[in-house]
Amino acid sequence: MAIGRVTQSMMTQRSLGSLQTSLGRLAELQEHLSTGRVLNRPSDSPGDTTSAMRLRSSVADQQQYARNAEDGLGWLGQIDNTLTSMNGEVRRARDLGLQGINGSSGPAAREALAVEVDKIRESLLGSANTRYLDRPVFGGITAGNRAFDPTTGNFVGQSGAVNRTIGAGPPVDVQVDGQAVFGPDGDSLFTHLADLSAALRSGDATAMGNVVGVLNGDMNTITSTVSDVGTRYNRLEAATQAAADAELSLTTSLTEIENTDLPKATVELQMQEVAYQAALASTARVLQPSLLEFLR
Amino acid sequence: MSATFASFNSALSALRYHQVVMDTASGNIANVSTEGYARRRAVGETMGAPAVPAMWSRYDGSGDGVRTKGIERMTDPFLDIRARREHGNQAYLDTQQATLDRVEAGIGEPGPNGVSAALADFRKAWHDLANNPGTDAARSQVLAAANTLATAINNQSRNVSTEEADQRGRLLNTVSEVNTLAADLAATNRSIASAQVSGTDAGTLLDQRDKLALELSELTGGVARQNANGGLDVFVGGQPLVEGQRAGRLDIATGVTPSGAADGASVTYAVTGPDGSTAAPSEALGGVVGATTTLLNTTLPAYRAGLDAVATSLATSVNTQHAAGFDKTGAAGGAFFSFDPANAAATLSIAITDVADIAASSVAGGGLDGGNATAVSGELADAEGDYQRLVNVFGSEVSSVRRLAANQQVLTAQVDGSREQLSGINLDEEMVTMLQAQRAYEAAARVMSTLDSVLDTLINRTGLVR
Repeated sequence: MAIGRVTQSMMTQRSLGSLQTSLGRLAELQEHLSTGRVLNRPSDSPGDTTSAMRLRSSVADQQQYARNAEDGLGWLGQIDNTLTSMNGEVRRARDLGLQGINGSSGPAAREALAVEVDKIRESLLGSANTRYLDRPVFGGITAGNRAFDPTTGNFVGQSGAVNRTIGAGPPVDVQVDGQAVFGPDGDSLFTHLADLSAALRSGDATAMGNVVGVLNGDMNTITSTVSDVGTRYNRLEAATQAAADAELSLTTSLTEIENTDLPKATVELQMQEVAYQAALASTARVLQPSLLEFLR
Repeated sequence: MSATFASFNSALSALRYHQVVMDTASGNIANVSTEGYARRRAVGETMGAPAVPAMWSRYDGSGDGVRTKGIERMTDPFLDIRARREHGNQAYLDTQQATLDRVEAGIGEPGPNGVSAALADFRKAWHDLANNPGTDAARSQVLAAANTLATAINNQSRNVSTEEADQRGRLLNTVSEVNTLAADLAATNRSIASAQVSGTDAGTLLDQRDKLALELSELTGGVARQNANGGLDVFVGGQPLVEGQRAGRLDIATGVTPSGAADGASVTYAVTGPDGSTAAPSEALGGVVGATTTLLNTTLPAYRAGLDAVATSLATSVNTQHAAGFDKTGAAGGAFFSFDPANAAATLSIAITDVADIAASSVAGGGLDGGNATAVSGELADAEGDYQRLVNVFGSEVSSVRRLAANQQVLTAQVDGSREQLSGINLDEEMVTMLQAQRAYEAAARVMSTLDSVLDTLINRTGLVR
């Protein structure tokens, strides 16, 4: 701008204006450094603000997915342990049945076998009512605390999926339906064991043979369920890892958008400080001289 | 043939004139930092031969010295018009920026404390409930998160309402200030007219006139025009507010009651002209009044409407999904949020008090299912997207106003600089003028003593023979 005539107040105002501008930049950098953020209000960069809000929301989602998956892992781990130990017990009951069939034993010995089978049935019913966080893991969505009646062995749960959302895809069901794995009422593992105990007591070898065959089928069902549970367990583990990875990469992006590049900001602050000092010094020199000093 | 004592008179006129020059310089120095003071300059004029020669008598002098033609006030009406316009624009943008900055600070985005974060926490709470539909802890957590979210939205809405109330109060004050200034300007116009008739120096009055007109432009974006009597006529919104020695009134026609409350309508004005006729402004007002009008009519209501839409969308979708589920006892879910559709953001609250009433289950009959809780958490995406868009739009608006204000600042500074170049006082220059006048005064005095000695020679020594 062409300056025709310069006056003292013009210089004062301009100097003040420049000092203000310089100080304003200094304050802005100071804010970036002290808050550690370049994005302090939406108008700092509306586009980045939207991205930051989206990223924050996604980070929260991923954290939640990880939490959901952890919870699901608890359920499936519990089911896995229970089913594996139950399988061993069913095998023992089958072996007892086979011993009974071999026939050399007398009524007293068979009674002993029958008593053991009864104990196994009781223990299996206890396992079938295993609870995780106070909920029977084989009881579906039941509000009660048992999946099977401890005496009759009937299913008292409520079938239904216990879903865990572990990502944008379909949820994972973390329960195992008690009726699917142990058989429906009247034809369940527990009925079979009661039948076996009755057959042992009566010494009916044909019935024992039938029950032993059925128990083999029950063991197969349990084994295949264990492998299904294992697959789901792996899926949840993979989801936990994926959520953690996603959270990390999202947080990195968020940091890039929101946070101050410290070395850059520090260098800029240094430069701005120098500029401000220069402005101060030149103001002091420019405003000082007056013709009065030379007129005597 | 010139008169014997003519040179005495010339020297005397020089003494007088340079006295005036020194007076002017001293006045300038005294007012070096007075706001609205324009530099004065004494203008001299040679006294010489009559401009119209007489028929017979001839002027045979060689000039009769100097006289003060007048005190010139160094201003440029064109620059004054520019300055008024730019200052009006500046006030318009500055007012908007200051207000929007305040509202923006209340949004608190992006960060861990805004509505966005509250929404994310709310969604997490539903997920946790889906994981543990049987525990009251997870249920209470949903209510607590919902409460935080509703409060965050209520707070934002209240911030906007408070700002609107503040702006209405400010508008009332500004309008009454405008009317005071208009009356002052009319009075100043009258004084200028009488000063012109009596021939006295109207400089101080003109300074005051320009200052008042500038303030009126800053407040209303009004346009001033010089009238035949040296006064300024001011038009606000295309309607005359001050004409010569008479002032009209600017009034708020609708939008703000005299007590500062809103009356539901947009803010409009009525200008009562000096002739008593009332008319609505034919163009939009500028300055502080214009900015406040824009804020009250457009910007703030738009943000609040956006917030209301977010609250409505949130409450409606959550309520619909919640009603599709079943609570802890197995009964169908009721409304989760309650709100007044006319004022959703401010009235959003939780309709549920008992944690057992939260419908987490998608299965009737009291099972510990979390399907509906998951479904509700999935219903928040729309409201979240709406809110992000709202913040984005508002942020863009603030940043645009800030940029415009910064640009305008440069323009205003440039115009002020040009005015200062012409009207500002340079102390060095005044010192030089003063020294010049001092030397000229000394020279004129020396002329007198020289003449005195010349006459002494003539009168006292002529004819004496030693």
